[in-house]
This record gives sequence, C-alpha cells and structure tokens, in this order.
Amino acid sequence: MSTAPAAAARDLATRMVAIVGARHVIDDEGELSTYECDGLTGVRVRPRLVVLPASTEEVASVVRVAFEAGIPVVARGAGTGLSGGALPVRGSIVVALSRMRRILEVDLANGWIRVEPGVINLDVSKAIAGDGYYYAPDPSSQGVCTIGGNVAENSGGAHCLKYGFTVNHVRGARVVLADGSVVDLGGPVLDTPGYDLTGVVVGSEGLLGIVTEVVLRVLRKPQATRTFFATFPSTDEAGAAVSAIIASGIVPAAIEMMDRLAIVAAKAATGLDWPDVGAALLMDADGPLAEVEHTSENAIELARRSGAIEIRRPRDEAERALMWKGRKSAFAAVGRISPNYFVQDGVIPRSEIARVLREIEGLASKAGLRVANVFHAGDGNLHPLVLYDKNLPGQESAAEELGGEILRLCVRYGGSITGEHGVGADKAAYMSVMFSEDDLDTMNLVRCAFDPEGLLNPGKVFPTPRLCGDRRGPYRAHATETTGQAWRE
Amino acid sequence: MTLASGRPPTDGDAVLGVSPEVVFEPPTVEEAARIVGESVSAGKSLAFVGGGTDLELGSHPERLDVVVRTRRLDRVLEHAPSDQIVVAEAGVTLAALARVLAAHGQRLALDPPLPDRATVGGVVAANAFGPRRTRYGSVRDLIIGISFVRSDGRLAHGGGKVVKNVAGFDLPKLMVGSLGTLGLITTVTFRLHPLPEETVTLLSPGRRATEIVSLVARMHAAQLEPTSVVALWREGDRFDLAVRFEGFGRGVAEQRERFASMASSEAQSECHTLDAAAQEALWARHDALLRAGSFRAKLAALPAAFATVAGQTLVPLLSALESPGLLWYPTLGLGFVTGEARATEGVAVAVFSARTTLGAEGGSLVLHAAPDSLRRRVDVWGSPPSAIGLMKGVKTRFDPTRRLAPGRFVGGL
Repeated sequence: MSTAPAAAARDLATRMVAIVGARHVIDDEGELSTYECDGLTGVRVRPRLVVLPASTEEVASVVRVAFEAGIPVVARGAGTGLSGGALPVRGSIVVALSRMRRILEVDLANGWIRVEPGVINLDVSKAIAGDGYYYAPDPSSQGVCTIGGNVAENSGGAHCLKYGFTVNHVRGARVVLADGSVVDLGGPVLDTPGYDLTGVVVGSEGLLGIVTEVVLRVLRKPQATRTFFATFPSTDEAGAAVSAIIASGIVPAAIEMMDRLAIVAAKAATGLDWPDVGAALLMDADGPLAEVEHTSENAIELARRSGAIEIRRPRDEAERALMWKGRKSAFAAVGRISPNYFVQDGVIPRSEIARVLREIEGLASKAGLRVANVFHAGDGNLHPLVLYDKNLPGQESAAEELGGEILRLCVRYGGSITGEHGVGADKAAYMSVMFSEDDLDTMNLVRCAFDPEGLLNPGKVFPTPRLCGDRRGPYRAHATETTGQAWRE
Repeated sequence: MTLASGRPPTDGDAVLGVSPEVVFEPPTVEEAARIVGESVSAGKSLAFVGGGTDLELGSHPERLDVVVRTRRLDRVLEHAPSDQIVVAEAGVTLAALARVLAAHGQRLALDPPLPDRATVGGVVAANAFGPRRTRYGSVRDLIIGISFVRSDGRLAHGGGKVVKNVAGFDLPKLMVGSLGTLGLITTVTFRLHPLPEETVTLLSPGRRATEIVSLVARMHAAQLEPTSVVALWREGDRFDLAVRFEGFGRGVAEQRERFASMASSEAQSECHTLDAAAQEALWARHDALLRAGSFRAKLAALPAAFATVAGQTLVPLLSALESPGLLWYPTLGLGFVTGEARATEGVAVAVFSARTTLGAEGGSLVLHAAPDSLRRRVDVWGSPPSAIGLMKGVKTRFDPTRRLAPGRFVGGL
C-alpha cells in the first residue's frame, strides 16, 4: 500500500494547518531544506514537516497531534547551535519558535522579565537598557540566537565567569510536555516549593519539553567596567597570568585568551593593529567604581609580573568595543586562514591551561593539522578551532578525530566534553567518556518522567537509544525504532 | 541485610518524633550504597540525616525503619584552590569545610545558621541559605557536581568538577532541596569564592518597610553591590536594616560611604557602621532569630511587596504567635516568621490566610518548624505547586517503591 504513508502525511499536514494556518506549515521539499541542520552544518536530515506556532496553545496542540501519531518532535530557535541540538530526526516534525517573539511583561522593581522563546538574546537587554538594566548571559551569537535556544542549551558566554550561565538567570518557565500538556515551573518569586524542575529543564537540549514562556532575571548594569588587553610571548605566560589574577582574589567579569593563530586570524578579519605575539588576554572587570579600579590595576600588575609584553587600555567605549569585536569575531575570522574548520568546545581546570594547550599542539602536529585557540580562560572553557581543507583527502576525518582526542584530553584532566555548546547529536557518543552507565541511566530516569515515549528530540544527548521500559499493553514500535535509530531483534 | 552492622536508635535519631528500628553510620560511600540498596530491597523505609539542623523541615515520614547518618562521610576529597572548587563528602560540616578553605583564602559562599552542625549534604538536601544569598545566590548557583546513592543502591554522578559544564541533565539541581526523597547525597562539588579583604556592616535602625523598599531601590539605582541585605523586625512597623559590603578595602570603603549618606539623607533617619564586635553581634542576632521558638515559616513574595507583606499579610500571623519574630531579605523577596505557636487554631487560620494572599501573587509560605498540634491542622508545604504531577513522575522513576523519606516532601511525595 504505497499510498497509505502519503495519505497519512497529507492528513498530518492538514491537521497542522488546522492548528497554525497554512502559511505556517512547511512541507515543500525545497523549503524544508532550510531546516535540515543548525550551526552544525556537516550533518543534515530533512524533517517531515516544519510547523511555526504562535502561542503556547498552538505549540501544545501541535505536540499533542504528534504525540498521538507517535511522531518525534524537534524544537528549534534560531538554529545557531553548534552541537546539532536542533538537527531534525528522520520523519520528525520541527517546531520552530521564531514567531513567538513577544516580550510579555517587564518588572524591573523586582528584577525580572517574561519573554517568549523566539526573542533574541540581545533584544532582552535592549528592551531594558534605557532603565539601566541588562540580561547577563552573552553567547557570542547573542545578536541572532534566541532565549528558547539559550534555555535548551544552558548557554554561557564570555561574562559567565562572574555572572553564571543561563540557568542562573532563569526563574521560571511555561513548558509544553511531550504529550501536549502545559506546566508552569517556578516563576518570578523565588523558591517555589518542590523539586527545582526549572533547573532541570534548562540545559536539557529539547528532550524534556518545549519552553513557550521564560521568566528571566535581569540585573542592574554595573557602575563601571575596566578592560585591558595584554600580550605575551606564549600561552604559558598568559595561562600563568590568568592563574595569578584568579589566585589574588579577583573575580574578573570576563577573561579571554587567544593564541598566535587566533590573533593572526582576528587581525586579518578586523584590521585591528594587534601585534604578532604568542598569546593575548582580554579582561573585563566590572562593579562599583573604586573596586573595579583597584582590581583592574592589580590584574594588570599581575599580568606584567607573569611576563606580559605589552598592556593596552582602551581610551574610550569605541576602542573597548573594537577589542571585544576582535575577540568575538575570532571564530569566523579563522575562515580567513583556513578553507574549513571545526569549533570544538571542552572544559579543563583553568590551572591546567598551559599544559593542555601544549598537549593539543602535540596532538595537532601528530595529525598534521593546525589548531587555533580562542577561549574563556577564566573558567577553562577551551574552544580549539581545528583547521583543515576538505579537498585534501583524509583531512576532514583527521580533523574530526583530532576534535575527539581533544575532548578525551579534557575529560582526562578532570574537565568536561562541553562548556556551553551542548551535547546534541555531535557529542552524544562522548557522553560515556565522561559519565558511567549508571549516571546515564539516572539521567534517563529524568527523561522518562518527562517523556516516557521518547518523542522529544530523540537521538540527542544519550550515546545509545534508551527506552523507558514500562509500556503496558500491546507492543507498539518505539519512535526510535520507526525512525531507524533503534532496532528490535 | 546485616542489620547487625547498624546500631539501635537513640532519641536523637528520631525524625519528627518517629524512631527507626536501626541506625547506620557508614564510613564509606560504598558502604552507604550497600545499606541503601539492601534496605530498599528488604522493603525498609529510610531517612537520611546530616547534622539534623533542618530535620523539622517537611512532613512526618509515613514510615521509617532505617536512618542513615552521614556523620562519618566527613572527608574533604579535593580542594583545588587555583580552580576554586572543592569536593566534599556529605557529612563534612560547613565549619570544618570553611577551615580547610580559609587556609587558602577561599570560602563557600553559603552561610545558613549553625555551621558547626550543618553538613554539606544536609544543606543541599534542604536548600539552606543565609544572608550572603543576596550576592552569591543559593545552593543551585554554587553547586557544580554531585554523587548520590539511588534507591536501588547504584551510585550516580551528575555535573562535574569544572565551573562551566553543560554535559548531560543537571542532576545537581534536581537534588537541591529534594529532602532525601530521590537519593542519599554522598559527595558534593562546589564553586568557591575568595575570602574578602574587608567586611563591613552598616545598620540603619528603626526603618519602616516602605522606607526599606525605597532605600533598596535607590541602592540598586546607585549600583551598589552589597553581599547581604536583611531587615530585622523590631516592633510595630519598625525594622533594623543591616547591609554588608565585602571585597577589597578601597571598594568596600567607597560603597560604605555612599550607602551611609544615602541611608541617613532623610529626616530622622540614621545609619552607622558597626565595629567588629557589633557586627558579629548583629549577624549572631540574625542567626538566633532564625532558630528561635517552635514555629518557623519561610515566606516568598516579590521583593517590592515587602510593605504589604509586613503591614497586612503577616499581621494576623504575628499577632497569633507568642514572641513573634520576622526577618526579611529585601533584595530576594524571602523571609522568615518565627515564634511560639501555642494558640494552634489562631495560628492555623493565620497561616491559611497568609498563604492565600501570598499564593495569589505567586508566593508561598512553608513551615520549616512547627509543633505537632499545628502540623495536624495544616500541611507544612501548603497546596502543591501546579507541577506536582511531573514531580510525582520524577519521584516514581527514582524511587518506584516509595522507600526514601516517604511522605516528607511536597504533596506527600
């Protein structure tokens, strides 16, 4: 019966059209290709349908229909994620939240704002900047990435060393669960009695529910910010400077490191007059004026004592913005010095920076590849950029292998396989490098409590498909089986 | 199970007056895992006890056969000063941990009362906090890794040893405040902060709630960054406002001066800097107030609602209690009411009424301590939150036979 699936597909599309309207259901093969991948562009899966709901009720209805039909659902924000968290699953419905971009409520007297998931990160700060407030988490993609995606990935940014990650700034959320039911977690008032499910949903990469409203904590802007840029002969001295600054009791707002290759790339892309050196640090201190002046001067002195060649202080806000532009554009800038590259994301204890960077260099030269490093040094969150040319036979797979070696190295040093980009589809295989079978089984207990059928974003985070093992009644093929991710012998 | 390796209970082992059959004090995590696993498979119900400072939080256990005390899990496993992290076993007290960290100029920025007794595991399980939450957040903001024994005796880990880490679901957050209903916490990893070079506390006595709300708003506007702000009720409509600044000398001095001039700028208002002894006495007064009386309720509301909460919502409760006390963290919107609840009926009615008012605005009132007579009359947790169904689902997955602290948590979980 070859027409049955086609009829079922038409029926599904019709039901989605009834919920969100024809303009907001995409089933055209050409248009679907836009949704084949996120920022992890090397892997592509075309979804069955893309649906763009405009409200919690519409999201709930869409998810309920999918649930009843046993179809997997993948939520998507701006698609800037780098780990394939929004990568569709074969046969899945992609729920794109880009139409839900209203700021619903602002309460600065109590320090919070309620937004829909499609609101762009930077737009939250823009909406309250006039009153002297801002939203602290600042991923490099903050001009395009959405709050919903930030919540799914527990996004970080350069300034989370002092201010924490998305999870530290989410007070509550309205969540559509796998069966289409809607639940409110937390809220503007602190300490809602019960388990901290808000804290569990943040960073759950779309496996536990679809967030349709988020209550964010917003902060008063600090009185002053002092920035400096310091150059060093090598990453050894720069790493020593980071350790010395932290050890002195200073909590920088951000402290970023770039190695020689990353500096070369940033210069090529931005035209900054940065010198040709082995490493550079960019540090922000913020807070009350007197405190900041004190900590900034002390940090500069410690950088000098650790072997800094030159210290530059921006003369004005424009110059400061330019320094940060150099840092934030470093990823893309690498495109100037290499035809292709992978961005890796791993974490190590910050005291091991110099040693780990040398080990990475060793691994790279063994693989015959170059690695540029530009990263959040204060919290040991490395972003090695593995450079390669996919036209040279074997280089792409060698680069992938090197990326994996770097992750294993991070775990060996007591770190993590991801500091902010998430596990997604990309790193699911590495979860068992960091976690035991019992740890993964425990995480799966959480997933089963939220989504026993495993229909939300299947195939992500967990290294192997896992069932919840409690289905009663006659056998029904599990979503991971029908989509070809799991098999029953 | 070798119940023989346990010991008979003493009075101090009871949980809200319910005595177990046997008490274990395992010396290792492995032994603890074995005890939990074997007890559960033998159909025994368990409760986990650290320093016992928050044992009154929660409802009576429905059943209790086995108490596992973490007293002997008292090792600081790893302190990496340059990475500002510490890994400690559950039974380490906050005071013992502070001594280890202070030797390297660091601290864990969690300051609930009774640090000599309160343990790392207990503080996480009860989500305990102190005045420094104003600046550093609560357990959820400082915990980065956890290990715990599941109801089936298996050992699970979540999070890690680095501050920044998004690999896998956030099991540490799930365990915070879960009150022993999901597993036995065995080790915890925290991020640390440097000990401040200078600490100063200012006191502005006899302020009205409305003045405090406006003073805190002006403090925000002036971009001051105190580490603690607390209003201690004196009498009538008057509170003593205590504000603490910590950090490097120059910064602290500058913030102190700005706050002092701000707080004493109005007519009949004063603000003075406390000397070392007075500072210590003030924070001791804060801690003592939190432990006074047989009744203690935690309040949560929007910070700006303080004047209404203190001036209207809580009035019946404060008058129903004997020796009533009230303290409020104006930047957090959290506070505690303490006292003696001898007039059970009057207190119960006042609790219902306060709950209704607070709940309508998304707030809550949870009894952290209450005499049995009052517990029979009111649920210590109040009506369950809207996500209770999902919470039940989590509990059922983690503890399918309901052996871990049954009935203690929200909604009878």
